[in-house]
Parts: sequence; structure tokens; C-alpha cells
Amino acid sequence: MDTLQYLGQGFGVALSPNNLLTALAGTTIGTIVGLLPGLGPINGVALLIPVAFALGLPPETALILLAAVYLGCEYGGRISSILLNIPGEASAVMTTLDGYPLARQGKAGIALSISAWSSFIGGFIATVGVVIFAPLLATWAVSFGPAEYFMLMVFATACLAGMAGDKPVKTAVAVLIGLMLSCVGIDANSGVYRFTFGSLGLSDGIQFVVLVLGLFSISEILTLLERTHHGQKAIKASGRMLFNMKEGASVFATNLRSGVLGFTFGILPGAGATLASAMAYMTEKRLASKDNRFGNGDLRGLAAPETANSASACGSMVPMLTLGVPGSGTTAVMMGALTLYNITPGPLLFQNQPDLVWGLIASLFIANVILIVMNVPMIKVFTRVLEVPNWTLVPAIAIITSIGVYAVHATTFDLFLMIGIGVFGYILRKLDFPLSGVLLGFILGGLMESNLRRALSISNGDLGVLWASPISMTLWALVAFIVALPFWRAWRARKRTATMLPDA
Amino acid sequence: MYQRLFTGFLLVVCAVLGWMAWGLEAPFSYEPVGPRAYPLLLLGLIAAGALLLFVKPALEGGDSAEPPLPPIMIPKLLLCLALLLALAALFERLGFVLSSIAFAYGMCRLFGGRNLQAVVVALVLGIGLYFLFDRILDVPLPLGVLAALEN
Repeated sequence: MDTLQYLGQGFGVALSPNNLLTALAGTTIGTIVGLLPGLGPINGVALLIPVAFALGLPPETALILLAAVYLGCEYGGRISSILLNIPGEASAVMTTLDGYPLARQGKAGIALSISAWSSFIGGFIATVGVVIFAPLLATWAVSFGPAEYFMLMVFATACLAGMAGDKPVKTAVAVLIGLMLSCVGIDANSGVYRFTFGSLGLSDGIQFVVLVLGLFSISEILTLLERTHHGQKAIKASGRMLFNMKEGASVFATNLRSGVLGFTFGILPGAGATLASAMAYMTEKRLASKDNRFGNGDLRGLAAPETANSASACGSMVPMLTLGVPGSGTTAVMMGALTLYNITPGPLLFQNQPDLVWGLIASLFIANVILIVMNVPMIKVFTRVLEVPNWTLVPAIAIITSIGVYAVHATTFDLFLMIGIGVFGYILRKLDFPLSGVLLGFILGGLMESNLRRALSISNGDLGVLWASPISMTLWALVAFIVALPFWRAWRARKRTATMLPDA
Repeated sequence: MYQRLFTGFLLVVCAVLGWMAWGLEAPFSYEPVGPRAYPLLLLGLIAAGALLLFVKPALEGGDSAEPPLPPIMIPKLLLCLALLLALAALFERLGFVLSSIAFAYGMCRLFGGRNLQAVVVALVLGIGLYFLFDRILDVPLPLGVLAALEN
């Protein structure tokens, strides 16, 4: 068993004192970032990249830090959902539905502990999934040529638009805007400056830290300001702090199902934790017996989304590590961090950098254990963080964001660019264009163009190369299916309203 | 309404960028696809999507995830932007410590902090974050006018 041997080697990397300390720091930061409304895993991870660089962390340590923060955020997001009814980050939206009613019934302690336990199971199932599937996918993906890669990225972007729910056109436009933004700067193949408007600051393109922090921090600050006029008071976590065996057993089947579902959604490029938690919640609600209390504080309704979002966070590492296609917005940022280290994620990573890959996978196990151990006894400390008022929090976020952006190039041009992108992102957000689409498009853009051009160079301009191999033909079929999905849904919805009208 | 305004704006931007992209020619070319084909393809697709939303805004109007913007907040949003721009403009000139103290004071007041609270928050953030990032985490920050004090 090669896999087990590699995994052992990975634990060797992840258990070194430095990396263990990093995982501990990362999970703590992640939990806090996750529970604060206004900061999510995407900004959390992006803000730490300049710090990781400045501290001279080796790539595997940096990646362990970022992954620990990511997983920590999925744990932390639930705290503000349960106590405040405000999701700490997007994928914890579904947690509010049953978590907040439970807290109102005085069961906040039980809700917090059972959701931490659910996150742990979700993370554990998905990490086992990563161990099994990632090496398989990597060996298979080595046979991908530029044409297949290009098609894979088309598939990833189509997935995002086709599965993002009720707004496929807006999502598609958002992805395309992201792809377009990645064209800015000097063209690597021909040396032509594209869309730089003669500006020196844009000549090597938009730095992805600038884009991420603009889109997610600045627009979030504006949104927080907009919401200053309705305050909300946190419910005190009191009573029994730990769930009992009976409660644990009642959600165990939910945990297992949602964990597998979350992992599957995590692997799909672009689907991400938000969709996974929503799907898990819907599925459990449908499976539950008629007398369910979903929406009024059902433990299963709390366990399902929490299991799924942790599982999906771990699962989204699979396409990032094996294919070099991020599975979620946060892994897109992690991929950006890897490219800053001159490491190109992809199938060869497993051969060339086994320490990095397996160290990361092993650290997912470790971070998960740290998080469950930390989250149960220290929950009182974390709930304290929620009492920090916005007037302290927001200036701090804004200044740290500026430091993060300034640290990339040490130019104030990037600060202005970030504000511009932030305003644009805020407008997009108000009009329901998903920002994660822009981010994923931006990360995939460069790879997509270079693979397309490489494929066409090999075929000497013949477009037929794009559907020449069985892999690319399968991908075309999948793309067609995914693009057809929203049309089919719209058609079915129209048919349903048509049949309902005569009744009314 | 706002969506139509935005998609209209997007269409204009696509047209302008498309015109710019048309002029992109590689002086020497070794490959069949030059630097302009891909951006033009993307611009075409964005324009198609924007046109669809421009003509039929109700297509994806549906239930909005974001509440509409209350008009009283607009001056506050503009003030917030002005503060951010001021921070960017003064970041190097005044130096990190002074510019972020001024910025944090303004933001704190904007988010409902009282005068004394704002002064404390601003001083703690400006000085604390400088030491945390510049001295402990090795992220170099400009000292600006305070550089004279250092030696």
C-alpha cells in the first residue's frame, strides 16, 4: 500500500513541531475569522498569504496554515449562526435555520457541541475521501494534454453557472468578468500589453491578493456599514454544554449521509460549501418523517449543513491538488498562494512534491482533531469574541486588509486598485452577481487561455483538437448537460406553475 | 432598473474594450492564436449575457439575496469610500502609523463609536498593528514623516 506509506510520511511532515504549531495557530485564527460576521475563509486565507511570505514559511507550512484556517472557518461560522442568527460566513447560512431556534429554547450549549461534533465527522469522512480519491485522480490526470485541460476548465466554469442555483446567466457573466480580468497585463506568449491603459501598475496584471481583498473585504465593509442600523444581541450559551449519547445517536445517520454528500459537492469544481450545506439540509428534510421539527430547532437540521460544509471544504482540496482546478473560492486563493511559491498545482504535484501534498492531507486530520478538542471546552472564549463591537472590528479589518495589499508590491497603486475593485464588487453583489464566480474565473483565466493556445499551437490552429480525445469528448458532453440543466429547471418550473394555475 | 443601468454600462465597456482588443497584434508571431482572440471571445460572451439581462431584466430578478439600499445610507457609504481613498493616498506620504490612526478614528465614528472610544481604538490599532506587522511579522510598512524620529 503506497498510499498508507505516503500518508505516514505526510504525518511525519505535519507532526513536526513547527507545522503542528502552525496548525494550532491556523485553526485558532480560522475559528475567530469564521465566527466574525464580515470575515470569511476567503479573506482570512488571502490576508495570511503576505504574512506567510514575510515570515519565510516553507510552502508546505504555508499551505498547512491556510488549510487550517479554512477548516477553522467552517467550524467558526456556526457559532454566530447559532447565537446571533447571523451566519459568520456564507456556508453557515443553513445553520441558522435550526441553530438559532435551538439557542432560543435554551439549548445553545447542546447546539454548539453537536454542531462541532458534526463538523468533525464531516471533516473526517472527507479527509478519508481525499486519501482514497486524490492519488487515483492524480494518476489518471497525468494523461491530460492542453486540450483536455482547457475543456476541464470550461467544465469547471460551466459547473459554477449551471449549479449555482437560480441565477445561471448572472453567474456566467460573473465568471466571464473574472476570466476577462485575468487578461489584464502583459501577455506571456507574445509580450503584448493588454488592457493596461498605459499604467505601470497594471503591466504585470492584477495581483490576485488585490482582487480577492477588494472583492471580499472592501465590499464586505460597505455591506456592514449599510447594516449598522439594525443591531442584534447574542444569546448567552447556558445550560448543558455537551450533547448526550441519545442526541448524538439521533443525528449519526444524518452525519454520515451529509458527510458523503458534502465531499461529493466539494470535489465538483465551483460548487463549494454553500451549495453543499443547502443540499444536505434539503435532503435531510425530505428524508425525515412527517412529524419533523425542521426550522424549529431540529438537531438533524443543524447537523446536516455543518457536516456538509466541513466535508466540502476538505473535498475541495481534491481538484486543487490533483487537477490544478480549485473546488471552491477559498481553494482558488490557496492555489494562488501556491503559484506565488512557483508551484503549479496539478497531477505532477503528487510525484514531485509528495511532502507538500501528503503533509497537507495529514494536517487536515490533525487540524480536525485540534478543532474538536478546542471547540468544546473553549466555546465560552470564542463566544466572547462576538461581543467585540463593529466600531472596533471594522477599522481593524480595513487596516489589516490595506496592509495585506500593500505588502504584495509596496505600491499605493494597489490600494487604489483594491478600492476600485471593491466598489465594483459591491455593485455586483447588490445586483446578485456572485463574487465567488468572479474570483474563480480570475484564477482559472490564465491557465485556461494558455492551455487553449498551447492546444491550438500543437494542432497548428485546427479547432478539431478540442474534441479529438475521448476525455475531452466526455467533458463536452458533461458541459452540454450542465448548461442544459438550468433551462430544464426553468422549463419544469414553468410547467408546474401552468398546471397549478387551473386549480387556483 | 439599477440592473438595466449596470448591464447597459457593461455593454458599453465591452464595446470599448472590444475596440481596444481589436488593435492588439503581436509584432512577431510563432503561434496560430494571437493575443487578441481570447479576450475578444470573452467580451463577446459577456456582451451576450449582458444583452440578455438588459432586454429581459425580469429573467433573474427573482428573490434578491441582498436587501435594497436605504437612501439615508448613501452619504455614509460615500464617506466610507472617501476615508478608504484618503488612507490609500496618505499611506506612504504620512506613513502607516499616522494615516491609519486618522483613518481608524473616522471609521470608528462612522460605525457608531463614541469620541473617546474612537480615540482609543485609533491609537491602539495604528501603533499596535505597526508593531505587530512591521516588527514581529516582518511585513515592511512605510514610516513616512515619522521616519525622522527613528534615529
